[in-house]
Amino acid sequence: MRSSEGTEPRERALASFTVELDAYSGPYEGLLALILKDELEIFEVPLRELVALYRNTYSSPESPAPGALERDTDFVDSSTSLVLLKGRALAPVFEEGREEADEGALSLEDLEERLVTYLKIRHGAEALKERFARNVAFYSTGHALRPRPGRLRVSPDRLSNTIRRAFGRTAEPDVGHLGPITVTVEELVALIRSSLARGPLSFEDLVRDMDRLRSAVAFAAALSLASEGRLALSQHEPFGPLTLEPKE
Amino acid sequence: MNDQRNEDAGRGATALVEAILLVSPRPVTLSALLSATALDEPEARAVIEELERRYTENSSGIVLRRVAGGFQLATNPSCAEAVERFRKEARPAPLSGAAYEVLALVLYLGPLTRAGISATRGVNSDAVVRNLLDRNLLVEAGREETRPGAPALLDITEDFLLAAGAESRNDFPALDDLVDPEDVKRVRERLANAQPNAPAKGTG
Repeated sequence: MRSSEGTEPRERALASFTVELDAYSGPYEGLLALILKDELEIFEVPLRELVALYRNTYSSPESPAPGALERDTDFVDSSTSLVLLKGRALAPVFEEGREEADEGALSLEDLEERLVTYLKIRHGAEALKERFARNVAFYSTGHALRPRPGRLRVSPDRLSNTIRRAFGRTAEPDVGHLGPITVTVEELVALIRSSLARGPLSFEDLVRDMDRLRSAVAFAAALSLASEGRLALSQHEPFGPLTLEPKE
Repeated sequence: MNDQRNEDAGRGATALVEAILLVSPRPVTLSALLSATALDEPEARAVIEELERRYTENSSGIVLRRVAGGFQLATNPSCAEAVERFRKEARPAPLSGAAYEVLALVLYLGPLTRAGISATRGVNSDAVVRNLLDRNLLVEAGREETRPGAPALLDITEDFLLAAGAESRNDFPALDDLVDPEDVKRVRERLANAQPNAPAKGTG
């Protein structure tokens, strides 16, 4: 791999990195392109697995290969962008004007109803998946007629969708309801690590005496530690208990 | 002689329906079939039943499906690999779990706005919805005029029914029947236990 010095065009440092994931198999750059074009959902890409693949591919006990620093930098740059994208994609969205936009006002009954509805939808989705799988191999005997030249029909709705996609930007999530931030992820990372020194830990126990903000930051800290491979998160069923286990 | 004429007439009706179904890339509704063949309804229904007996998955490379509110001749799924090789055509990439969730939401609770879908799932689902609109499994089927900006309402499409092998929305099991009441009970109990003032009932 050549350096980018001089007038020669810079080679793509990650051109030779290929990945093998459930959702995608092929060049890493192709994976990035598919995500940016919304042809592959960021939810489906396990970022931790991606980092592990990179480390397995390029970690070497010997001295670093030429261009390794540039490649590592490119990987860190692109993978942090993926983390940001995934974070934004996962940010909750509430409909303007709806009462539940103020989550603090959600009653226990409403929350319960929402969780039960989601559970039903999850089961419905699984049934739908099986149904689609059973019907995927039917091919119609007829062929769609091509539109006559000059008569290509353009659907206004699809056209406006395409324009919106081309020029639209992801809206920054509104965090006005959070109030002043009084705790940092670093503080809760330290707390989790010291608690884990005594063995596996239930997330519910960890946040038992915390307010909502600290609970949320504790969850972010746990995710951060999990993505660094310092702990393992396990939850055996939807809505079930979440357990943090030390990995060091 | 009369029997022979009836038999000819019967064969003609069957041939007509068969021909229409063969050339149509989309399911043909009964009314479209009656209009194209000039048959009366009982006659057309009898022909459909005869064709269903003729084209079964056990005896033919073609099957007659009742889907999306109509009738469709399609290749037998057991021949799919050969058909794909012949047409040099790969099956569409399978949908993600998130996509099935969005489809189930719209199927059971729709029509819904994008924000309604995201609120129920608890995560932004815009990218998933875009993908499903591109695949023509969802469509913008109106607007919620009472909300600011009159957001578009999304509903399922004929392609969705085709992909699911369903005649209509009513062809799916009720949402409540898909969930074990014990699962629902467990969720309610966990939630009650998670409340700060709730009496302790074991570990979360």
